[in-house]
Amino acid sequence: MYDLSSVLDFDALEEVRPGSSILLSGPAMTGKEQLAYDILADGARNGDGAVVVTTSDKAQNVASEFRDRVPTLENAQLGVVDCRGEGGSEQGVIDGVSVHQVSSPGDLTGIGIGITKALEGLHNSGRTRGRLALISLSTMLTYTDKKTVFKFCHVLSSRLDAADYIGVFTIDSGAHDQQTIQVIKQAFDGLIEVRDAEGGGREGRVLGLANEPTNWKQL
Amino acid sequence: MSESDSPVVLIVEDEPDVAETYKLWLQGDYEVRMAQNGDEGLELLDESVDVVLLDRMMPGLSGDEVLSNIRERDLGCRVAMVTAVEPDFDILEMGFDAYLSKPIRSEQLHDTVTNLLERSEYDSMLQEYYSLVEKQATLEATKSSAELAESDQYTELTEEIAEMREGLSDTLGGIENDDDFIATLRGLDDGDDN
Repeated sequence: MYDLSSVLDFDALEEVRPGSSILLSGPAMTGKEQLAYDILADGARNGDGAVVVTTSDKAQNVASEFRDRVPTLENAQLGVVDCRGEGGSEQGVIDGVSVHQVSSPGDLTGIGIGITKALEGLHNSGRTRGRLALISLSTMLTYTDKKTVFKFCHVLSSRLDAADYIGVFTIDSGAHDQQTIQVIKQAFDGLIEVRDAEGGGREGRVLGLANEPTNWKQL
Repeated sequence: MSESDSPVVLIVEDEPDVAETYKLWLQGDYEVRMAQNGDEGLELLDESVDVVLLDRMMPGLSGDEVLSNIRERDLGCRVAMVTAVEPDFDILEMGFDAYLSKPIRSEQLHDTVTNLLERSEYDSMLQEYYSLVEKQATLEATKSSAELAESDQYTELTEEIAEMREGLSDTLGGIENDDDFIATLRGLDDGDDN
């Protein structure tokens, strides 16, 4: 089981089943990306492998951000799939982090190959547990249609399920129509929603991972 | 799928003895077509072909060239490369769906063809699954929760989706290995809208 409750204090997140994929949804500037990193970093501190699929950050920046959060990060514990299409030659193992470049956020085969290599690297270093974050689905949706993104999420979730990993996928709820969000949601086992709280700060709730949706709660 | 019930396998192989052997093994379960070289293979290729067994080293058009032609024509078939030596490169990156290294045993050939057909099955199930999910999302976006609770159509749809989801995880063991994973994603990239 994966315990995400030290990052997000919800009972529903105490025992997340291996193989679960979770959509992390909220408007812009509500810290979804940071939450996703926190979930991966928290696992890495306890020895879990980590894979970051990024459509906006340079692989090196992801790696150094990760090192700041996890000073004990070991070699071959983090894999980054950089889908910006600007990475050029920064491939392979760089400072103990395995980096894979993909031509664009719309290149699903390339992303799949990158993820496969990252998972293989973690597996070869003996890690049987791991967490993957994809940041963000909103960017992918600007490169390809919702049908393709839905199928991609479903297939990737199945792959993570077979590996006993968990996945966290971010989406900007304000950037898409309601129907698109409803469709994408269906590719996941659970949903974490965040929003700005009325009196300042932000709040969140969890759906799909326990029997009942949780109440909104200050984060 | 062809008009007959059996899936169609096209063997593209320049050595007649080898091609005959494959045919013998497969003809009980599949409709088998044979081509002696790449050009002939491309001529025989149409929508009805489900799986192509493609020899990589042939005089004339090579296996790689035939493959890129197949992908350009956007034919929905799955392609297994047959090689004399185990390839030292990533066949998935090249666009093949599987590879077989010679000498091939009957059981191996059957397993590969079965797996490739199952992948096609998975693709069409995924497509159907999406259509149901989209319908459900449209209902959810346009009706109140009280209306949804009373809608038989919505209830049926929800049940169908749950069933389909289970079916998907039974097919290919729900994408258990890397080859199935990459090949399925490549199907999405090709914009296969069947």
